[in-house]
Amino acid sequence: MSVPALTAGPARRTSTVFVATGFVSAAAAALMGGMLAIWLDFRAKAPTRIAGDGATIIKDWLKKDITIPEVAANTMMFTFVIACVMAQWAVYSGRRNDKSHTTLALAVTLFTGLALLNVQAALWMQMDIVLRDDAYQTMFYTVTGTMFALIASAVVYSLVAMFWVLAGRTSDHDVLAAHALYWYATYGIFAALWFVVYVQK
Amino acid sequence: MTTAVDSRATSSVGSSAVPAPLSAIGRWLTTADHVRVGASLVVSAFVWALVAGALGAVLGVERLDAGSALVDADALAQLFSLHRFALVFGVLAPLMLGVSVLTVPAQLHAANLSVPRLAAFGWWAWLAGSIIALVSYIGNGGPGGGDGRYVETYLLGLAIVILGLVAVAVSLATTVLTRRNGNRLADIPVGAFAALVSAVGVTLTFPVALGTVAYLWVDFVNARVAFGGGDMFDSWLGWLMREPQTLLLAAPALGILADAAARTAKSRQPLRGVVLVGVGISAVVVFSSVTQQAHVFATGKTPFETLQSFVPFALFNVLPLLAPCFVVLLSLLALKSGTSALSGAFVASFLGVGMVFTGLVGSAAMHLEALDLIGTVFGEATLVYVVYGTVLAAVGAITLHAGAVTGRALPDTPVLLLALSGFAATVLASLPHFVAGFLDQPAAVAAGYDDSGFVGIANVLVGVGHALMALVVLAFAGLFFKSRRGEAATDRYATEVSA
Repeated sequence: MSVPALTAGPARRTSTVFVATGFVSAAAAALMGGMLAIWLDFRAKAPTRIAGDGATIIKDWLKKDITIPEVAANTMMFTFVIACVMAQWAVYSGRRNDKSHTTLALAVTLFTGLALLNVQAALWMQMDIVLRDDAYQTMFYTVTGTMFALIASAVVYSLVAMFWVLAGRTSDHDVLAAHALYWYATYGIFAALWFVVYVQK
Repeated sequence: MTTAVDSRATSSVGSSAVPAPLSAIGRWLTTADHVRVGASLVVSAFVWALVAGALGAVLGVERLDAGSALVDADALAQLFSLHRFALVFGVLAPLMLGVSVLTVPAQLHAANLSVPRLAAFGWWAWLAGSIIALVSYIGNGGPGGGDGRYVETYLLGLAIVILGLVAVAVSLATTVLTRRNGNRLADIPVGAFAALVSAVGVTLTFPVALGTVAYLWVDFVNARVAFGGGDMFDSWLGWLMREPQTLLLAAPALGILADAAARTAKSRQPLRGVVLVGVGISAVVVFSSVTQQAHVFATGKTPFETLQSFVPFALFNVLPLLAPCFVVLLSLLALKSGTSALSGAFVASFLGVGMVFTGLVGSAAMHLEALDLIGTVFGEATLVYVVYGTVLAAVGAITLHAGAVTGRALPDTPVLLLALSGFAATVLASLPHFVAGFLDQPAAVAAGYDDSGFVGIANVLVGVGHALMALVVLAFAGLFFKSRRGEAATDRYATEVSA
């Protein structure tokens, strides 16, 4: 008996770049998810002791002299919104073949991304903690450093998408949609980090 | 039936201005063709299989006499660690991903992979990372190694290896989802479906390990206060190199068997949906990255305590057994419903999946507290079963698709003989350690146990098994390259039927 193995079904267009970006976003989420899980595990297992007043229980995790600049962290949180709106504007303009606005939107996304990197660097400088002092410091720099790398990768994506549009590939809207997806994913990942590391500490 | 693009035919590089060998090397270095990327991964994995086989043989000899040592204790610890690295990151992962890269586009009737440059990047990254890791081992820098600089190098190599494998997996998963010619996932060949399950699993679990590597590296370079230094690497990353995580990497073997059965029997797979569910069950292993610990079953003081222990044990150790179980039984049904004949591809993949299944059964048994097998060589044997099982499945896959992908089929009888030899090698390299595990031979050491009686014999047999597997790999490579010359064999798998 001979049966055809795989016949062509109805034509259905699936964006390669969009799907690949979805997988990369999932991988990035798994990367940060795993790191935050280890962070939470360390924080939960941090030793506790009774304070001098005999009544308060102190957890030896975040040292008293370390201050997290919450203004900078919250600024990053809001700046991400701008980046995502701009990335979506690029999608909107791209669908209307509006090259100038697409380029503008991508440029603003790019510079917003650079601003995010700048805020992260400023945050490290404001905290002014030594990496090798304790488990908290080591893990703080690792997890925020990884986030820095993820934001940098989103900035590179914006740069590539901008060159793509400048080169006249405005008809390929999938790249812009994939670019927006990556920014949304990066924002979601940062939101998780912001809540665990900067809010809950 | 292949539609694979041969870039050699379309390239304009090989003009008279550039010597032919140089242009060939240049084309290979810059290729994004799935055949070349897949073949590169498979060939490299076979080279690593030779390394793993040789290491296994050396370790077998070393364990022969628990009282004397050929290699000093530090180097021995590195050899054991390197053996495990070679089995998982040198053989298992690149071999299964490589076979998928090689065959999936042809199965889907696609010209090439989606995002092929990403797959090519992944192959080069994996190659560079695995070489860096190997060099670090040579410099006494593996987990627990004595040279700090090389330990850092090891972590760097491991990170690059993981990054490379994730890149290949993303390309593969995207290919299956976007190059189906509009067909539903349920209608694509089981081989492509199994590749998708494995690729998605790798994409979701390996980054978790990458994050852990980042923590370990920063901690090791600086304070070494949080993660305990090099001696503790295995406790943080061990889950990545043991069952059930290895099933995620071995999942393409299930698809290979289903396709080999259908093509051998020249009939469509009966109960195809159940086969797909069976393959899909292996995806539960993704959760191993969430818990990252062994789930041991122990009877409690109350029935509730027993149930509390049994549920995670069953989820992580028993449920994954259903995946190969379903596929093996239904592939036999396929054979029964069609032309009842055996083929080299079917025998190799059937024995391969059987070995993977045996390894998983062993892993489940090891997690029964009553048997007291954790920390013995029993665990080493389960890994060898799974990895060498996938080597056999890869032999089956290459035999099955060689005609379609490369245009030159492999002769069936020599493959059949090699499959049987590979089966014997796998059993020799692992079964004796199953027994030695019950006799309390400790894992990853060559001293401190009673080597009289069967334990001594077991270690010799294991060493012989590893050496035999290295020979089988060499012989298969020889057969493949021989088939490229001379008269082409008849491709008995050249049929439109696929699972």
